[in-house]
This record gives sequence, structure tokens and C-alpha cells, in this order.
Amino acid sequence: MLAFVIRRLAGLVVVLFAITVLTFLIFFATPGLDPSRQLAGRNPTPETIAAVKHQFGLDRPLPVRYALMMKRLFISRDLVSYGNQALKVVPAITSAAPVDFSLVIGAAVLWVVGSIVMGVLAVTFKGSILDPLLMIVALIGISMPVFWLGEVANLITQDRLHNTFLFSWVPPLGYTPLTSNPWQWFLHLLIPWITLSVLYIGFYARVLRANLLEVQSEDYVRTARAKGLSPRRVLLKHMLRTSLITFVSLFGLDFGVLVGGGALLTEVVFGLPGVGLLTYRSLVALDLPVIMATVIYGAFFITIMSALVDIVYARLDPRIRPA
Amino acid sequence: MAEFAYEPGPEVQLAAGESAKEISGRSPWRIAGRRLVRNRLAMASLVLFVLVVAVSLLAPFYAHHLAHTDPFTSNLSGTTVVNGKRVDVIQQGGGLLGLGEVPIRPTWRSNYFMGADNQGRDVMARVLYGGRSSLQIGVASAVICCVLALALGLIAGFFGGWVDAGLSRLMDLVWAFPVYLLAISLATVLLTKPGGLKWGPVTVDPASLWVPTLIIAVIYIPYVYRPVRGQVLSVREKEYVEAAVSQGASNLRLMFSDILPNVISTAIVLLPLMIATTILTESALSFLGIGVQAPNASWGTVIGDGQALLYTRPLVAIAPGVMIVLTVLALNVLGDGVRDALDPRAKVRVRE
Amino acid sequence: MKRWFVGFSGVLLVVALVAVGCGSAKKSTPKGGGGAKGGTLTTVANAAPSGSPDPQVNYTLQEWQLLIFTHDGLVAFKRTGGKEGTKLVPDLAESIPKPTNGGKTWAFTLRKGIKFSNGQPLKGKDVKATFERLFKIGDSPNAGTWYNVIQGADACIKTPKTCDLSQGITVNGNIVTFKLTTADPEWLDKLAVPFAFILPASTPAKNVSIPPPGTGPYMWAQYAPNKQIKLVRNPDFKVWSADAQPAGNPDTIVQKFGLTVEAEVTQVENGQADWMFDQPPSDRLGEFSNKYASQVHVNPLTSTWYFAFNVNEKPFDNLKARQAVNYATDRAALVKIAGGPKLAVPTCQVLPPNFPGYVPYCPYTKNPSSGKWSAPDLVKAKALVAASGTKGASVKVNTDTTDTDKALGLYFVGLLNKLGYKASLQALSADIQYPYIQNSKNHVQFAFSDWFQDYPAASDFLNILLGCGSIHPNSNSSPNIAEFCDKGIQAQMDHAGQVGITDPTSANKVWAQIDHKVTDQAPWVAMYNPKYIDFLSKRVKGYLFSPQWYFLLDQASVK
Repeated sequence: MLAFVIRRLAGLVVVLFAITVLTFLIFFATPGLDPSRQLAGRNPTPETIAAVKHQFGLDRPLPVRYALMMKRLFISRDLVSYGNQALKVVPAITSAAPVDFSLVIGAAVLWVVGSIVMGVLAVTFKGSILDPLLMIVALIGISMPVFWLGEVANLITQDRLHNTFLFSWVPPLGYTPLTSNPWQWFLHLLIPWITLSVLYIGFYARVLRANLLEVQSEDYVRTARAKGLSPRRVLLKHMLRTSLITFVSLFGLDFGVLVGGGALLTEVVFGLPGVGLLTYRSLVALDLPVIMATVIYGAFFITIMSALVDIVYARLDPRIRPA
Repeated sequence: MAEFAYEPGPEVQLAAGESAKEISGRSPWRIAGRRLVRNRLAMASLVLFVLVVAVSLLAPFYAHHLAHTDPFTSNLSGTTVVNGKRVDVIQQGGGLLGLGEVPIRPTWRSNYFMGADNQGRDVMARVLYGGRSSLQIGVASAVICCVLALALGLIAGFFGGWVDAGLSRLMDLVWAFPVYLLAISLATVLLTKPGGLKWGPVTVDPASLWVPTLIIAVIYIPYVYRPVRGQVLSVREKEYVEAAVSQGASNLRLMFSDILPNVISTAIVLLPLMIATTILTESALSFLGIGVQAPNASWGTVIGDGQALLYTRPLVAIAPGVMIVLTVLALNVLGDGVRDALDPRAKVRVRE
Repeated sequence: MKRWFVGFSGVLLVVALVAVGCGSAKKSTPKGGGGAKGGTLTTVANAAPSGSPDPQVNYTLQEWQLLIFTHDGLVAFKRTGGKEGTKLVPDLAESIPKPTNGGKTWAFTLRKGIKFSNGQPLKGKDVKATFERLFKIGDSPNAGTWYNVIQGADACIKTPKTCDLSQGITVNGNIVTFKLTTADPEWLDKLAVPFAFILPASTPAKNVSIPPPGTGPYMWAQYAPNKQIKLVRNPDFKVWSADAQPAGNPDTIVQKFGLTVEAEVTQVENGQADWMFDQPPSDRLGEFSNKYASQVHVNPLTSTWYFAFNVNEKPFDNLKARQAVNYATDRAALVKIAGGPKLAVPTCQVLPPNFPGYVPYCPYTKNPSSGKWSAPDLVKAKALVAASGTKGASVKVNTDTTDTDKALGLYFVGLLNKLGYKASLQALSADIQYPYIQNSKNHVQFAFSDWFQDYPAASDFLNILLGCGSIHPNSNSSPNIAEFCDKGIQAQMDHAGQVGITDPTSANKVWAQIDHKVTDQAPWVAMYNPKYIDFLSKRVKGYLFSPQWYFLLDQASVK
């Protein structure tokens, strides 16, 4: 088991390394991309470009440049953006991360509560019209593009119904930090939370329902019933607990992806200055230092969560052959 | 979003309301077909999907014969007739200052049925043509993805050892790789290379729909690869495979005639769900401007165009979104139906 | 619009401009200013000024708009609205000297008693050190093109670390004398922009992350590029010339970053912010026109937006083909993309209206005699295409991916197809597009670009964008995108430059001829000259629009 854990974590480091190298190579293989030109301003002379190239070490071989960038990112931590040289990359990420955590944790609370309620209701009322109805609602949730849902939410809450009592409380797009004004923080994030969680509520409710139905026929549930426990008690205490194993591991993966900048579309639509928006902006501006940092940040969360889930699964189910 | 993985039950099972007689002696595929046809919800969604496809295929008919417009060329100075009056397609903003320009409202008539976009193009025609691109990319990338994932999963599961380990790390890499960066750089590379990219006889035009198709196909390989690999591992241990090995069957024969037929149902079950996912992904990429390239349209690009008109002409962004929801919903319901039909006891499982 | 946040923004100067347009509701008068003091002026912008924050490196209007009241040059553009705002007045220098030695020697006398915000008094050595630093930091964009006329500057460009301008700049007490290698008619303009603002001699010769102490009424208290810029009053400031550097009104000026443009509009509407730097999105213009008309100001810019033909690439190496496209272009349609006739004016020529050397000229229209564009002439265009023999050629229309620029590109794809070419779109990320189209290696045939003036001189358009000296083959920095080089026209430009040293009025007449001749050669499809929208909160009083620096933030009052 320990060997598996070590191998899995070593694999993680290899994957992270490969991703950064690939990102770096893709960037320098893109024609027209000339960081020294980006750095030198509007109409530099060829001499200025050469000077900038030298000053930023861009005239050195690729492996050296890669090593220098990694050194400035991880060791001296003073890597700056090509677009704005006052923008230090590491503080930019650390100041954007709380936005992602606010967004994702809030949405996660909604989707965990929402999906459990929906899943349990569907199973409880299996056979009645409520079950298929709930599952259709869940499917609709899964079928909506999140950026489109966000746009429609904006249209309604910021414009069409903004002057009615329903949505007059909705603040303008953007973000207020929790530390500066908790109430505004909450108001700013409420619509984004709902928008982001719709998809996951639908998805998790379906998974949970399927799992609950599967567990229903297991021996220990039958035993519990035979002991005369009330159906509700059996459902909530025994079945739900077992079903949540799948639920939690899925949750781990999704949470990792989202916190690592995967909520990019939601952040773009609602103008939330998180890592996702930072990633998007740096991509559009092809600003390599920021791209590198956000890619590493995102990949770290994704791979570590994936490794954790693998490890937990290997513990639970020894049949899984470590690969 | 984590994906469904599919793990088939042991043998052909009875579905609810089905008698043993009905399935005895029939091939599993025929049984599945019967079950699918009986599933009313799945059939309704199939009809809906076919309808969306049919409507999208009618795009040229609407554009050329009803609306008489070219949805790919801007028509800024164009005019049209509404209620017997000739009006500009793009009209100057009103108010005290007269700032800005506003496209024409939906006319609910044969041309500019849903109004115009920022460039005076017929939104209805754009949505219909957009559907063609979105569907084409969605279906093609899902199929390519499943085929590649089947091949890789077969190889990894069959050979095991370092081949398996290497492929699995590669899948980790693909999974954690920044999709958007890949899309942006690939689009840039293609656009800036004079004459497009050439690989031997294949030339990829930057405006080609194959670019987003291939990008999307590649990024979803790990989702299908993992369940396929797991299944190959378990099929390999089965007696009939062992028997074939002992009879001296070649690797290729083993893979193709003994193992492949057993895992292919996994890919088929996943296919409608994959198409649903790839359509959503395509729309996201195109919305961000890194999927389908102008002047081509897809549902995502039309939503992107509509973003700047959201408060004045919301229909431009809403209409293609509704099309996406309908299509993806139909595919999801159909996917459920196919899964239930092939194996009523199939489990929804976390990716391993 | 993208110019503002991707860093190609220039500053500009208009000769005869007043806040026009925008109905009768609010004509801003050059008076303004002088309002009540105090309070905080809160402004919002999508992102911090791009590039380095160092005043000698940054090349964005966004930062220059703030630097003008934290720092001073030897001379300055008069801090006021309207035409007066283009006038040069003495700033740190007591007066504007007359050059000697055929325009090659300039002796400035520094005012006495001026202090930097760190308490140090301003001295002659600070001036010399400032110009040496301009070369020492190594990445100042215009050091090698604008300031290399100082004697000894060429050596500084070769070896920046050891830059010594003792030859070119001599300090004698409070008299600073510049010696130039050649007479430069634009020398004073170049001294009035932030690259030449005087910094303390003690400023380190490397890019700083916040502008160092200056001599203006405000100083930089905070520069956090993902959060905000904060300027507060400089306690050591006393007014020495209200024309050059008046005391500002607000006690604090803040610029916050990170909002979407949509959110910026909402904040200004609600009074949470007083002014937005970015141009408002098109779907909010209706609101402006109806509900907020009195808070909106629209001003023309001396800027030209154009598509450049590459005159060395097929099919547009053919003059008739270039003229055909010019005749066919429906500039009214393009103006619609720019937001309508209130926000852009069609043009056929290089120089923008109200600019030195501008005389209206438009051969590419129906009824060309008026000099104004009225309607496309498709018949003539098609005949020219047929005569050129270029029909059927394939053309890649290059533009960038911002909404407006992409729409402009798509228009030309449609037009070229209509004329019989096989056109396709090549839309690149804005940060790649500008260097990409400049590089002759990329064989770009037809490309979008735009230009905002740096200072009011015809050469800033004609010589930089269409002069033979602006072509650097195989370089990403070759601003003559059209690769247009006409020996005769170039000789005339050189001549106009010479005349301009002594007689700017006659020089401008020559520039007008050059402008028209270039237009006849059709290296561009000039499309339109844009206008700029300022959107203010209700409480802001004293709006002034300087043709050089746009909205003068320090002259507005929030009390």
C-alpha cells in the first residue's frame, strides 16, 4: 500500500513537470509570440528589443529559460508578468485564490445539500410521479451550459427584473472580500453560487439516487429493515452513509478541478477576479509567466485530488491494480 | 465535471416488466433494441434529437429560400421590409445623445425572424447553421474520442506492465492539461502558418471544424479510457480468454475477436452521454472565442456574439442556448435509455 | 478601444477641438477646473496600465494621465481643456528658450525653490541623471527613437550600463544646456511627455515598481496592479505656474482595478465611482443616451483607424487593386461598427481632422470634390479590379480578436469576396497581432491597425507609419505595416522636416500635400477617426478635456 502511495505521488510530480514543460514549449512554438516585443512597448527600435531580450534572459537557450522561470516562480518568487511588470505572479495567485475558494465552497455547500435532498426525495418517492420529475429537473440542470445560465441570470437580475422587489438587492457584478464586508460578499456571490451549483446538483442527485437504489438490496440494509428500524431511519442512517463514499470521492475530484481555476466560465461571466479569470486573461494576452503559474496551480489541485481519490479507492477496493 | 463510468452487470438481466420468455434465445443487441423502443421517454428524446438535426440541416433552405441572406457576411448597411416599410437592419441609437447602433428586433417573419446580430446578420440563420457545426463537432469528437479511448484502453489493459503505466500517466497528463491554452495556441499556430498546417497529405485549414473537434476528442479520452481499461483487465481473466490463450491465439486475435466485442458496449453506452458533453464543451470554447472561428458559426459563437447585445437584444444569446439545452437534454435522456436497455442493472460508478 | 488596455495607446493632441457632439446638454467649456478642493476622486479601470509602471518606460495613456500631476518636465502642455491644451508652456524651466546653433542647442534655466515629494530640492544634476537613466534602464521604448538626438546618446544605446551624457547635457548652476546632433522640430514636444519628466538623481537605474518621487501636487502612495493605484497630495508642493502645474482639487485620487467594464458602468451610475477609464460596452450606450445624458461627454480623438495593404505582396502590390478596395469600402457601414456617426467620422486620408497639416481629401467616394466621404463607388471599384487583373486572388484579412476589430475584418472579407477575390479571415489575439503584421516574414497581405498620436506633428503619422525609415525587414518592430516606400514622397517628407525647424506653417502645407499624395497611392484603406466617451458620476464638477491628456482628473472637483 505504501509503495502504491509513493508511486502515485511520484507520478504526480512527473505529470506536473511534463505539463509545465509542454506549456513552455507550446508558448515558444507559437509564431508571432515574442515576449521581448511584448515587454518593449509600442515602437521600440530593434536595439531596444535586443536590450530587453538580454535583460530578461530571453536570448538564452530554452532549457535555461525554463529553469530560470521555475527558479523565479518557486525559489525567489519574484516572477513578473510580461504584460505588467509591476504584477508579481505569486502574489497575484495568492490574492485571487480566496475568490475561488469563496465561490467554490459556497457552491459546494449548495450542491451537496441540494443533491442530497433531491436524491433522497427521489428514492423515498420512487414509484410516484415525483421521482421521474426530480430526475428530469436534474437532467435539465446538467444540460445547461454554465456560461449561458450565467448570462441569463445576469439578464434577469441585473437588467430585466433588477428594478423589482425580487432582484433589487442584487449588487453589480464583481467581488467584495469576506474580510472587508461579509454581507456584501454574500450578496455578490449568491447568484454565482446558484449558477455554478445547478449542474452539480443535477449530477450528484442522479449519482446518489442510483447508488441508493443499488444499496437497497444489500444484505445489511435488509437486516436493518428486518430488525424493525423505520424506513426513514434505514435510509438516512445506513443507506445514505454507504452511498456517500462514491459521492465524497466524486466531490473530491470536482472540488479540485474547480478550486484550481476550473470555474473559469462562471468567473468570466460574473466578473469574479479569481484564478479562473486570471487564467483566462493571461491566456488571451498570451502572458507566459502568469499562464505558467495558473497552469501549475490548477494542475496541482487536479492531480493531487485525483491521486488522493485513487489512494482512497485502493484502500477500499484492493482489486484495483495500481497503474 | 466527473463523468459517468459504466460497469456492466454480469450477464443479460431482466428489466422491470420483462418476462424471461421475451429475452430467451435472443442476442443481447436485439434485446437491447427492443427495450429501447419500449422506453417512451428515450424514444421521445430520440425524436427531439432527430428534429434538432433535421432543423439544422434545413439551414441552407431557410437562408437561401426564405430569408435570402448570407449568414456569414456582415450586412451593416442592409435594409429589410417590415410592415411594408423599408427599415435599416442596423439602426442608430436613439435618446438625447444618439450613441451606439442597435440591430433590428425580431420580425417574426420569413427574414430576420429572430432579428439581427451586431453585424446585421440574420440570427435565425446563424442559429441554424450554428447547429450544424455544433452537432457535427459534437458527434465527430465523441466518436473519435471513443475509438481512440477503446484502442488505448485495449492496449493498456491487454499488455499491462510498463505500457499500462505509461499510458495511464499520459492520461493523467491529458486530464490535467490546460484545455484552453491548448485551444488558443493551436488556433494561433494554425492561423499564423501560411496555408494552414500540413501533415503529409492532410492539410488543416484554420477555419476547419476539425480543429475544435480534435481538441475536444483528445481531452475526453481519459474519461472513456479508464472504464475501458478496467473492463479489459477483468475480461482478460475470464475463462474463455484463458482458453483462447492456451490454444495459442495471437495477441491481435485475442484483442479483436475475444476482448473487443466485450468492451465495445461500454463505449456505445457512453456515446450519447459523450456527445452531450462534447457539445457543451464546444459551446464553451466557442463562447470564449477559441473554438469555431469566425465567420463560421456554432451555438457557442452566437451566444458569444449575443453577449454584447444581452440587454438590448437578449434573444441573440438566448436562442442558441435553448437549442443547446434541448439537444443535450435529449442526448442525456437517450443515453440513460441506451444504458438501461443494454443492461438494466448497470451501475453508475465513479471513474477509477 | 483595445488600445487603452493593451498598451498601444498613445496620447494625442488636437489643434482645434472642443467637446463636441453630445447634444446641447453639456458643452464642456475650457473654463471648468478651479472648483472646490477636497474629497476622494474614485476612478475604475478594468486592469492596471500595461507594461512597466516606471515613468520612463510606460507608454500608456492610462498611466500618463496620472503622471502629469505627479511629475514635471522642463516644459508642459498647458493644463486646460480645448485648443489651449495643445500649447507648450514652461514648467520646471523658467521660460521656453530660443534654440541656438541652428536649432541644435537648447539652454533651460530651472526655477528655484522646487522640491521633490521626498523633500529634496530640484537641481540641474537631476535633469542630466534623468536623461541618462532613460538609456540606462535599457527598455525605454522610445529612448532610441526620440532621445537619440542628444549628443552621446548613440553610445548610450550601445552600452546602456555606462551611459554618460556629459557631452550632450551640461549643467551650470541652474542652467541646463542640451546639445543635439541635428535640429529636431519636435524636441519640445518630446520634453513634455512623461519619458522626459524629471526624477531625483538618486533614482536607481532599473525598472521601479511604483513611480519614484516627483515634483507635482500629488505623489504615488500605492501601486498594486491587481488592486488599485492611490495618489495623495505632495506636502512639499507649491504652485509655481498654474498653466503648467496647477494645484489639483481632490485630496486623494484612486484608480481601482479588476472590475468588468459592465460593472464599471454600474458603479459610475450608482455613484460608487466617479469616472471609468475604459470605453463603455455597446449595449449600455442606450442607457447613456436616455438616462445619463448629462453625465456623458464625447470628444473626437486625433487617431486614424485603418487597414494596411502590403504593397509588396500580391494582389495589393497593384495600385489599381488597392484603389478598387478603397472605392468599394462603405465607410458608413464601418462607422456603424464603431458605434455610429456620433462616435466615429469616416475618413479617406492618413492625417486626422484638426491636426497640423490636415486638409480634407477624399478621392475614394462618389462626388469626391467636397473632400468628404459620402458613398462607395462600386462600379468604379469593379472596373478597377478587372483592369488590375487581380481578380480571383486569395487574400487573408488579418485582424485581432477584439469584438470591434474582428467585425471590421469580417466586413472586409465580405467586401473582397464581392469584388471577386477569395478572402478569408485571420483573427489573432490582440497581443500577437500587432507584432505579427509588422514582420515581413509573415507575408501579411491586408491588416487592421490604428494609430493615436504622441504629439501634434504630421510626421508622427506620415513618417512613422509610411516612411522608408520605418521599415525593418524581418523584425517584429516595423511600424510601416504597408511596407510603403516612395522615394519622391520620402524626399518631400525629409524636406518638410527641415522646413519645420524654422517655419512650421509652411512645413504643414508641405505635409498636407504629402498626405494627399500618399492617399492617392492607397497604401491603406483609411476607415474613420474615432471619438472618446467620458462617463462621470453625478457629483463630479469641472470636467475638462485636454486634447493631449484627455479628461484632466486633477482639475475635476468632487466636493
